Amino acid sequence: MSYVTIDQVTKGYENQVVLNDISLVLKKGEFATLLGQSGCGKSTLLRSIAGLEDVDLGRILIDGKDITNLSPRQREVGMVFQSYALFPNMNVFDNIAYGLKMKKIKNIKSRVKKMIEMVDLIGKEESYPHQLSGGQQQRVALARALVMEPKVLLLDEPLSALDAKIRKNLQKELKRIQKELDITTIFVTHDQEEAMTMSDRIFVMNKGQVVQSGSPSEIYTSPVNTFVAKFIGNYNVCNMEAFRKLVRSTELKGNEVAIRPEVLQLVSVGEDSLDLQENWVIKGIIKDVSMTGNVLRYEVETEESVFLVDYLHHRGNMFEQGARVHILVPKKECIIL
Amino acid sequence: MRKIKKQKIYLLALLLPFIMFVIGFEIGPLVAMIKNSFYADNGIQVTINQYITIFKSKFYLQAIQNSLVISLFSAVVSVIIAVIAAYSITKFSQKIQNRILMITNMTSNFEGIPLSFSYIILLGNNGLFTLLFSKIGWDVFADFNLYSWTGLILVYVYFQIPLAVMLIYPSYQGIKKQWKEASSLLGGSTSSFWLHIGIPVLLPSIVGTFSILFANAMGAYATAYALVGSNYNLLSLQIASLVASDVALKPQLGSALGVLLAATMIGAMWFNGRMMRRIRRDLK
Repeated sequence: MSYVTIDQVTKGYENQVVLNDISLVLKKGEFATLLGQSGCGKSTLLRSIAGLEDVDLGRILIDGKDITNLSPRQREVGMVFQSYALFPNMNVFDNIAYGLKMKKIKNIKSRVKKMIEMVDLIGKEESYPHQLSGGQQQRVALARALVMEPKVLLLDEPLSALDAKIRKNLQKELKRIQKELDITTIFVTHDQEEAMTMSDRIFVMNKGQVVQSGSPSEIYTSPVNTFVAKFIGNYNVCNMEAFRKLVRSTELKGNEVAIRPEVLQLVSVGEDSLDLQENWVIKGIIKDVSMTGNVLRYEVETEESVFLVDYLHHRGNMFEQGARVHILVPKKECIIL
Repeated sequence: MRKIKKQKIYLLALLLPFIMFVIGFEIGPLVAMIKNSFYADNGIQVTINQYITIFKSKFYLQAIQNSLVISLFSAVVSVIIAVIAAYSITKFSQKIQNRILMITNMTSNFEGIPLSFSYIILLGNNGLFTLLFSKIGWDVFADFNLYSWTGLILVYVYFQIPLAVMLIYPSYQGIKKQWKEASSLLGGSTSSFWLHIGIPVLLPSIVGTFSILFANAMGAYATAYALVGSNYNLLSLQIASLVASDVALKPQLGSALGVLLAATMIGAMWFNGRMMRRIRRDLK
């Protein structure tokens, strides 16, 4: 059951291709994320769906209707911008009511009131945008888009201008509201953690193409190429020839091997309990230890390359800098690319 | 604590030349003007007769009225043209925008006697265009008289427009593209965007520009003097003839007219401020 269909959409500026033959399909009520680095085309794709950019080739369909050539106001999509884009001369109520007034919809008051309740802004109806915090402004922007009951909600990095704590809160709330209204949502972000927490499905984009799509756990545990592996989870990506040398094996095929840092284990040299059946063993020296709160990250230098190894920070700092160690690499966690 | 005080004193000392300038050349003359206006023609008796004279004289009341009308009219016309012109300018590339602004800046300083003479040379009774068009047989300028109210308005509007464009143009930079996008996604047309968001956001700048244009026109003297001499009854021309003419010097009466001129400008600014607060309630 496809609700939003992007069919072979291509777009370029002058000599540069921004969207390169993109096709994707979303189900109704799905929370989909376009994830990628800046300049990968994710915002352009979102803006094309909104009608704020024209596409050169391809079609965009929502609920079976071809909207490729419709103007933004005919598309029945709502959008929230990174910079909120609230109208500065209107208070919260009028900002939210603007769209209803434009479309001459009845019972504006009750609909706006309901929205204000939903985004938890009761008592702020008379406030002007400059009197609100960033988080509150973003709630208004969300309410302004949702009050129109759009078929699709488009979110263009809506949380990236907010500080960490408010961002986490709004992530949860956004998700709650999305589920409550069962609204098909397309979310754009460059933050892979945010994408993982919020999405039903992630589309990883690179250079104007979707390089992989799937559920957050699919994307995280089975990246299809080096780009996704590196972008998604700090994977250790090692050239296959070098890896074969390190593990003294000739049976491995492929170009590269990707291994998540949290599946690796460190063992001091001299300890004998190495399970060689299940693991590859690589010799190395701890070059650096860093801590990101709950995670300890070791940088282990081997003959061929540096491996990152993550430990949960509960056993204390077990290995000192300069310590000689064996890295245990579980064979089944090695992803051949 | 003491250090801060010392720093403050230094800062104030730096401001001293400015403060002296303001007192000497702005506040001083203003106080003198107000004081003068309450003296009789002999400069000895204190009286309010000068004001009574003005309000009883049809001649002076007409001067005030003419000045108000021409100032309001030229300010309104110029603001409207400038709002549209400044918007058009923003649609050019940055390079062309800079060039247009340079020309605008230059022409905004083109006023007074040189401007009047330019107009006389081009559109006067024996002006270049007047003669050219009559030779060609176009009669568009046949009924046009530069030395009339229409001519005066034309010249006033001419020198007001560049100034208005210079003042309004920067505020267009404050209109975000995403407001337009948000408005269109919410079902608003281009005109509803300008009506509900664009113009209200520009309003402080429009109103401020209007005040400046109004004051500019009220006080304009050289342009009008060179063009119509004393043929046309304007407040600034009357003040000048009372304080600088060689027939009848009446500086006290001139001062009283000056006070009224200042009062109308202050009144206009106050009115503008009130209007704006009413429309833009977010700007408190």
